[in-house]
Amino acid sequence: MSEVHRIERGRMGRVAYARIGPNEDLMQGVEKLCVAQGFRHAFVRGALGSLIDACLERPDGACQVIRGPAIEVVSLAGEVRRQPDGSLRSALTGVVADTEGRVYGGPFVAGANTVCVTFEITLEEWLPADDNH
Amino acid sequence: MNKQSTTALPRARTVVHPGPSGPVRINHMRADHGRHFRLSLPAGRTLHEGLVEALAREAVHSASMTLLGGDLESLRFCMALPDPSGRVLATYGAPVPLRGARLIFGNATLGRSASNTPLVHCHGAFCEADGAVRGGHILCDRSVVGRVPVTVLVTALDSFELRVAYDEETRMPLMRPEARAGHV
Repeated sequence: MSEVHRIERGRMGRVAYARIGPNEDLMQGVEKLCVAQGFRHAFVRGALGSLIDACLERPDGACQVIRGPAIEVVSLAGEVRRQPDGSLRSALTGVVADTEGRVYGGPFVAGANTVCVTFEITLEEWLPADDNH
Repeated sequence: MNKQSTTALPRARTVVHPGPSGPVRINHMRADHGRHFRLSLPAGRTLHEGLVEALAREAVHSASMTLLGGDLESLRFCMALPDPSGRVLATYGAPVPLRGARLIFGNATLGRSASNTPLVHCHGAFCEADGAVRGGHILCDRSVVGRVPVTVLVTALDSFELRVAYDEETRMPLMRPEARAGHV
Protein backbone atom coordinates (compact mmCIF):
# COMPACT_ATOMS: atom_id res chain seq x y z
CA MET A 1 0.00 0.00 0.00
CA SER A 2 1.44 3.34 -0.96
CA GLU A 3 1.27 6.35 1.31
CA VAL A 4 0.53 9.72 -0.21
CA HIS A 5 1.47 12.90 1.57
CA ARG A 6 -0.23 15.90 0.01
CA ILE A 7 2.06 18.81 0.71
CA GLU A 8 1.28 22.30 -0.47
CA ARG A 9 4.24 24.67 -0.37
CA GLY A 10 3.60 28.34 0.00
CA ARG A 11 4.08 31.43 2.11
CA MET A 12 2.04 33.89 4.11
CA GLY A 13 1.05 37.15 2.42
CA ARG A 14 -1.12 40.03 3.53
CA VAL A 15 -3.06 40.28 6.79
CA ALA A 16 -6.67 41.46 7.10
CA TYR A 17 -8.63 42.36 10.19
CA ALA A 18 -12.40 42.74 10.23
CA ARG A 19 -15.14 43.61 12.63
CA ILE A 20 -18.20 41.67 11.51
CA GLY A 21 -21.49 43.23 12.63
CA PRO A 22 -24.71 41.77 14.03
CA ASN A 23 -26.83 39.36 11.97
CA GLU A 24 -24.01 38.51 9.53
CA ASP A 25 -23.26 34.80 9.20
CA LEU A 26 -19.82 34.00 10.64
CA MET A 27 -18.65 31.71 7.83
CA GLN A 28 -19.99 33.78 4.97
CA GLY A 29 -18.68 36.91 6.70
CA VAL A 30 -15.20 35.42 6.63
CA GLU A 31 -15.65 34.53 2.96
CA LYS A 32 -16.91 38.07 2.17
CA LEU A 33 -13.83 39.48 3.92
CA CYS A 34 -11.64 37.44 1.56
CA VAL A 35 -13.63 38.65 -1.46
CA ALA A 36 -13.29 42.27 -0.30
CA GLN A 37 -9.55 41.94 0.26
CA GLY A 38 -8.79 39.82 -2.79
CA PHE A 39 -7.57 36.79 -0.81
CA ARG A 40 -7.94 33.46 -2.63
CA HIS A 41 -6.73 31.37 0.30
CA ALA A 42 -6.33 32.38 3.94
CA PHE A 43 -5.83 31.04 7.44
CA VAL A 44 -7.53 32.35 10.57
CA ARG A 45 -4.95 34.04 12.82
CA GLY A 46 -7.24 35.25 15.54
CA ALA A 47 -10.94 35.45 16.22
CA LEU A 48 -13.26 36.33 19.06
CA GLY A 49 -16.78 37.50 19.38
CA SER A 50 -20.34 36.45 20.09
CA LEU A 51 -23.05 34.60 18.21
CA ILE A 52 -26.83 34.80 18.65
CA ASP A 53 -26.97 30.99 18.76
CA ALA A 54 -24.16 28.61 17.85
CA CYS A 55 -24.63 25.68 15.48
CA LEU A 56 -21.93 23.01 15.41
CA GLU A 57 -21.87 19.84 13.32
CA ARG A 58 -21.73 16.63 15.32
CA PRO A 59 -19.77 13.59 14.08
CA ASP A 60 -23.08 11.88 13.16
CA GLY A 61 -23.97 14.80 10.89
CA ALA A 62 -26.62 16.31 13.17
CA CYS A 63 -26.56 19.99 14.09
CA GLN A 64 -25.94 20.82 17.70
CA VAL A 65 -27.58 24.14 18.50
CA ILE A 66 -26.47 26.06 21.59
CA ARG A 67 -29.04 28.74 22.35
CA GLY A 68 -28.07 32.28 23.29
CA PRO A 69 -28.00 35.13 23.11
CA ALA A 70 -25.17 35.43 23.47
CA ILE A 71 -22.81 32.52 22.77
CA GLU A 72 -19.13 33.45 23.08
CA VAL A 73 -16.62 31.99 20.64
CA VAL A 74 -13.61 31.14 22.81
CA SER A 75 -11.49 29.35 20.21
CA LEU A 76 -11.52 29.36 16.43
CA ALA A 77 -9.26 27.80 13.83
CA GLY A 78 -9.77 27.41 10.15
CA GLU A 79 -9.11 28.46 6.60
CA VAL A 80 -10.68 29.78 3.44
CA ARG A 81 -9.98 28.01 0.16
CA ARG A 82 -10.77 28.98 -3.38
CA GLN A 83 -12.87 26.26 -5.01
CA PRO A 84 -12.47 24.87 -8.55
CA ASP A 85 -15.56 26.87 -9.63
CA GLY A 86 -13.92 30.08 -8.38
CA SER A 87 -16.06 30.46 -5.27
CA LEU A 88 -14.56 30.79 -1.80
CA ARG A 89 -15.35 28.36 0.98
CA SER A 90 -14.46 28.67 4.66
CA ALA A 91 -13.98 25.73 7.01
CA LEU A 92 -13.99 26.78 10.65
CA THR A 93 -13.87 24.73 13.83
CA GLY A 94 -13.91 25.99 17.35
CA VAL A 95 -15.13 26.02 20.91
CA VAL A 96 -18.01 28.12 22.18
CA ALA A 97 -19.18 28.97 25.70
CA ASP A 98 -22.85 29.35 26.60
CA THR A 99 -24.49 31.74 29.04
CA GLU A 100 -23.45 29.46 31.93
CA GLY A 101 -19.81 29.14 30.81
CA ARG A 102 -20.30 25.55 29.58
CA VAL A 103 -18.22 24.73 26.51
CA TYR A 104 -19.02 22.89 23.27
CA GLY A 105 -16.84 22.25 20.24
CA GLY A 106 -16.97 21.25 16.60
CA PRO A 107 -17.14 22.55 13.04
CA PHE A 108 -19.33 25.63 12.56
CA VAL A 109 -22.28 25.10 10.20
CA ALA A 110 -22.45 27.66 7.37
CA GLY A 111 -25.56 29.82 7.44
CA ALA A 112 -26.45 29.00 11.02
CA ASN A 113 -23.99 31.03 13.14
CA THR A 114 -25.02 34.66 13.06
CA VAL A 115 -23.05 37.33 14.88
CA CYS A 116 -24.77 38.75 17.96
CA VAL A 117 -22.86 41.90 19.05
CA THR A 118 -19.53 41.84 17.24
CA PHE A 119 -17.00 39.44 15.80
CA GLU A 120 -13.33 40.28 15.39
CA ILE A 121 -11.36 38.18 12.95
CA THR A 122 -7.82 38.30 11.58
CA LEU A 123 -6.94 36.39 8.42
CA GLU A 124 -3.49 35.83 6.97
CA GLU A 125 -3.36 35.29 3.23
CA TRP A 126 -1.91 31.95 2.09
CA LEU A 127 -0.03 32.07 -1.20
CA PRO A 128 0.60 28.59 -2.59
CA ALA A 129 3.81 28.25 -4.60
CA ASP A 130 3.46 27.97 -8.37
CA ASP A 131 5.17 24.56 -8.49
CA ASN A 132 2.55 22.72 -6.43
CA HIS A 133 0.89 21.21 -9.49
CA MET B 1 -30.42 23.54 29.05
CA ASN B 2 -29.23 25.69 26.20
CA LYS B 3 -28.33 22.72 24.03
CA GLN B 4 -30.45 20.88 21.47
CA SER B 5 -29.74 18.61 18.49
CA THR B 6 -31.45 18.42 15.15
CA THR B 7 -30.78 16.72 11.84
CA ALA B 8 -32.22 19.68 9.88
CA LEU B 9 -30.30 22.89 9.35
CA PRO B 10 -31.72 25.22 11.98
CA ARG B 11 -33.20 28.55 10.96
CA ALA B 12 -30.80 31.30 12.07
CA ARG B 13 -32.33 34.03 14.22
CA THR B 14 -32.03 37.73 13.39
CA VAL B 15 -31.81 40.02 16.40
CA VAL B 16 -32.78 43.66 16.75
CA HIS B 17 -30.36 45.85 18.68
CA PRO B 18 -31.58 49.04 20.39
CA GLY B 19 -29.79 51.46 18.03
CA PRO B 20 -29.92 52.09 14.28
CA SER B 21 -28.41 49.41 12.04
CA GLY B 22 -25.68 51.01 9.92
CA PRO B 23 -25.09 50.19 6.25
CA VAL B 24 -21.56 48.79 6.72
CA ARG B 25 -21.77 45.29 8.18
CA ILE B 26 -18.10 44.32 7.84
CA ASN B 27 -15.42 46.91 8.73
CA HIS B 28 -12.10 45.71 7.44
CA MET B 29 -8.53 46.83 6.78
CA ARG B 30 -5.42 45.21 5.44
CA ALA B 31 -1.69 45.24 6.11
CA ASP B 32 0.86 44.16 3.51
CA HIS B 33 2.25 41.66 5.99
CA GLY B 34 2.02 40.79 9.66
CA ARG B 35 4.98 40.92 12.05
CA HIS B 36 5.04 37.84 14.26
CA PHE B 37 6.26 37.39 17.81
CA ARG B 38 6.26 34.58 20.34
CA LEU B 39 5.76 35.75 23.91
CA SER B 40 6.20 33.94 27.19
CA LEU B 41 4.28 35.86 29.83
CA PRO B 42 5.91 35.83 33.28
CA ALA B 43 4.43 34.53 36.52
CA GLY B 44 3.01 37.00 39.00
CA ARG B 45 1.93 39.61 36.45
CA THR B 46 -1.53 40.04 34.98
CA LEU B 47 -2.18 38.92 31.41
CA HIS B 48 -2.76 42.58 30.54
CA GLU B 49 0.59 43.73 32.00
CA GLY B 50 2.51 40.88 30.39
CA LEU B 51 1.03 41.41 26.92
CA VAL B 52 1.04 45.20 26.86
CA GLU B 53 4.57 45.64 28.28
CA ALA B 54 6.14 43.06 25.95
CA LEU B 55 4.47 44.46 22.84
CA ALA B 56 5.16 48.10 23.76
CA ARG B 57 8.89 47.22 23.68
CA GLU B 58 8.41 46.09 20.06
CA ALA B 59 6.34 49.20 19.20
CA VAL B 60 3.25 47.05 18.63
CA HIS B 61 -0.01 48.82 19.42
CA SER B 62 -2.49 46.69 17.47
CA ALA B 63 -2.35 42.92 17.23
CA SER B 64 -4.24 39.65 17.06
CA MET B 65 -3.00 37.05 19.49
CA THR B 66 -3.41 33.35 20.14
CA LEU B 67 -2.87 32.23 23.73
CA LEU B 68 -1.47 28.72 23.52
CA GLY B 69 -1.58 27.60 27.14
CA GLY B 70 -0.08 28.16 30.57
CA ASP B 71 -1.21 28.44 34.19
CA LEU B 72 -3.29 31.16 35.74
CA GLU B 73 -2.78 31.68 39.45
CA SER B 74 -6.03 33.62 39.46
CA LEU B 75 -8.60 34.13 36.74
CA ARG B 76 -11.71 36.27 36.44
CA PHE B 77 -14.07 35.73 33.55
CA CYS B 78 -17.57 36.76 32.48
CA MET B 79 -20.30 35.17 30.45
CA ALA B 80 -22.53 37.01 28.00
CA LEU B 81 -26.15 37.18 29.09
CA PRO B 82 -29.34 38.80 27.83
CA ASP B 83 -29.62 42.25 29.44
CA PRO B 84 -32.65 42.17 31.77
CA SER B 85 -32.93 45.96 31.59
CA GLY B 86 -33.25 45.88 27.79
CA ARG B 87 -30.79 48.75 27.41
CA VAL B 88 -28.58 46.48 25.31
CA LEU B 89 -29.27 43.07 23.76
CA ALA B 90 -26.56 41.20 25.63
CA THR B 91 -24.26 42.20 28.43
CA TYR B 92 -21.59 40.62 30.59
CA GLY B 93 -22.63 39.02 33.87
CA ALA B 94 -20.73 39.48 37.14
CA PRO B 95 -17.08 38.32 37.00
CA VAL B 96 -16.52 34.76 38.20
CA PRO B 97 -13.29 34.34 40.20
CA LEU B 98 -11.21 31.14 39.91
CA ARG B 99 -7.91 30.13 41.44
CA GLY B 100 -5.44 27.71 39.92
CA ALA B 101 -6.82 27.45 36.39
CA ARG B 102 -5.00 26.09 33.36
CA LEU B 103 -5.48 27.98 30.12
CA ILE B 104 -6.37 25.68 27.22
CA PHE B 105 -6.61 28.16 24.37
CA GLY B 106 -7.47 31.79 23.92
CA ASN B 107 -7.70 34.56 21.38
CA ALA B 108 -7.03 38.17 22.20
CA THR B 109 -6.95 41.51 20.42
CA LEU B 110 -4.72 44.41 21.42
CA GLY B 111 -5.97 47.87 20.56
CA ARG B 112 -6.52 51.25 22.14
CA SER B 113 -9.37 52.49 24.29
CA ALA B 114 -11.30 55.65 23.52
CA SER B 115 -8.98 57.40 26.03
CA ASN B 116 -5.93 56.09 24.13
CA THR B 117 -4.74 53.53 26.68
CA PRO B 118 -3.84 49.94 25.66
CA LEU B 119 -6.82 47.60 25.77
CA VAL B 120 -6.88 43.81 25.46
CA HIS B 121 -10.08 41.93 24.53
CA CYS B 122 -9.71 38.21 25.29
CA HIS B 123 -11.86 35.10 25.07
CA GLY B 124 -10.60 31.73 26.17
CA ALA B 125 -11.24 28.20 27.34
CA PHE B 126 -9.67 26.96 30.55
CA CYS B 127 -9.61 24.03 32.93
CA GLU B 128 -10.52 24.55 36.57
CA ALA B 129 -8.56 22.96 39.43
CA ASP B 130 -11.08 20.07 39.60
CA GLY B 131 -10.77 19.38 35.86
CA ALA B 132 -13.98 21.08 34.71
CA VAL B 133 -13.60 22.94 31.42
CA ARG B 134 -15.26 26.34 31.01
CA GLY B 135 -14.88 29.36 28.79
CA GLY B 136 -15.81 32.99 28.37
CA HIS B 137 -14.63 36.58 28.32
CA ILE B 138 -11.37 36.73 30.30
CA LEU B 139 -10.67 39.90 32.29
CA CYS B 140 -6.96 40.21 31.47
CA ASP B 141 -6.27 42.97 33.98
CA ARG B 142 -7.64 40.77 36.78
CA SER B 143 -6.08 37.44 35.75
CA VAL B 144 -2.57 36.64 37.02
CA VAL B 145 -0.13 34.25 35.33
CA GLY B 146 0.89 31.25 37.45
CA ARG B 147 3.87 28.91 37.60
CA VAL B 148 3.76 27.84 33.94
CA PRO B 149 4.20 30.88 31.66
CA VAL B 150 1.43 31.74 29.20
CA THR B 151 2.71 31.35 25.64
CA VAL B 152 1.34 33.73 23.02
CA LEU B 153 1.64 33.92 19.23
CA VAL B 154 1.27 37.52 18.11
CA THR B 155 0.38 38.84 14.66
CA ALA B 156 1.10 42.57 14.78
CA LEU B 157 -0.98 44.90 12.61
CA ASP B 158 1.26 47.83 11.80
CA SER B 159 -0.33 49.78 8.97
CA PHE B 160 -3.66 50.44 10.68
CA GLU B 161 -4.82 50.52 14.26
CA LEU B 162 -7.54 48.94 16.34
CA ARG B 163 -9.50 51.29 18.51
CA VAL B 164 -12.55 50.96 20.74
CA ALA B 165 -15.38 53.34 19.97
CA TYR B 166 -19.00 53.59 21.02
CA ASP B 167 -21.19 51.63 18.62
CA GLU B 168 -24.61 53.23 18.09
CA GLU B 169 -26.34 50.06 16.95
CA THR B 170 -25.42 47.87 19.92
CA ARG B 171 -24.84 50.74 22.40
CA MET B 172 -21.56 49.11 23.39
CA PRO B 173 -17.89 50.09 23.11
CA LEU B 174 -16.49 47.90 20.32
CA MET B 175 -13.10 47.42 18.67
CA ARG B 176 -12.83 48.38 15.02
CA PRO B 177 -10.01 49.06 12.57
CA GLU B 178 -9.04 52.65 11.72
CA ALA B 179 -6.49 54.15 9.35
CA ARG B 180 -3.29 55.42 10.93
CA ALA B 181 -1.88 58.79 10.01
CA GLY B 182 0.57 58.34 7.13
CA HIS B 183 -0.92 55.02 6.03
CA VAL B 184 -3.65 54.17 3.55
